[in-house]
Amino acid sequence: MKLTTRELTLCAVLTAMALALSYLESFFPLSLAIPIPGIKLGLANIVTLFALYALGPGQALMILLARCLLGAVFAGNMSALIFSVLGGVTAMVVMILLSRCGRLSIYGVSVGGAAAHSCGQVAAAVLTLGNTAPIYYLPVLLGVSLFTGALTGLIAACLFRALAHTALMKG
Amino acid sequence: MSLKPSPKLHPVGWDLLVVIAVVILAVSVGIGLLGTSESGPLTAVISADGQPEERVVLSSLTEPEERVLHSGGYTLHLVLSADGVEMTTSDCPTQECVHTGKITRSGQSIVCLPARVIVTLEGGAPASGPDVVIG
Repeated sequence: MKLTTRELTLCAVLTAMALALSYLESFFPLSLAIPIPGIKLGLANIVTLFALYALGPGQALMILLARCLLGAVFAGNMSALIFSVLGGVTAMVVMILLSRCGRLSIYGVSVGGAAAHSCGQVAAAVLTLGNTAPIYYLPVLLGVSLFTGALTGLIAACLFRALAHTALMKG
Repeated sequence: MSLKPSPKLHPVGWDLLVVIAVVILAVSVGIGLLGTSESGPLTAVISADGQPEERVVLSSLTEPEERVLHSGGYTLHLVLSADGVEMTTSDCPTQECVHTGKITRSGQSIVCLPARVIVTLEGGAPASGPDVVIG
């Protein structure tokens, strides 16, 4: 994958935005309302969705992996890396496949990604803990992902509309 | 640099297929988990830091019993009583185990990912009588 300086800069800015959104949502944890480990709004997925459509799968994956690694380093919690990577990569693969089919809107792709993220995180928990108990949370996580996925899809759609007439999207 | 054209920005009918697929997956897993509840007295299965599980038959407890778990560099206080289990305090960063509250039914669990602690309830099959009588 060959990147121009402008693409590389945009990837860096998007990575920083994703990290900022992850930090931002730690101020209003969804787990206070629904006490389930790992449950969150997934605001950083807005950046992933934008990068997937605007830049392509390769760049989106690069941004995702950089965000996961830097997020774990800044939080000083490397054990959380497997959760974010497994959840994020599972979501990314599903979103790439769904976006390639061409029939779905950004909402459908976002909901599919959010649900896949839940599956990936539960798989990471099962692998890390060596216990199948976290699967108990999967139905609730999947149910919540319908709403969080629709929300991030809505915000990403607003972002595309807002940027539609800017120089960034026109090239 | 020219960015790719934007995606469909309004929901379309095909999106419903994704929603239906997620609902079917959630319901299937839920039904699968319901079928795994075991018979016997309500038992708490405690696993900390990959250590062998400890099983406590809750119905045999005459008064609440507190356990202090040291796992993954964290200290967690667990209260076991005849009707359920509760993580009262923990110095883990997420506090999700404490926010879970008291678990009372078979299949429920308290998970603390930072400390690698899992408390699961097993058994406690409901009595054969009706749950509710109306009319």
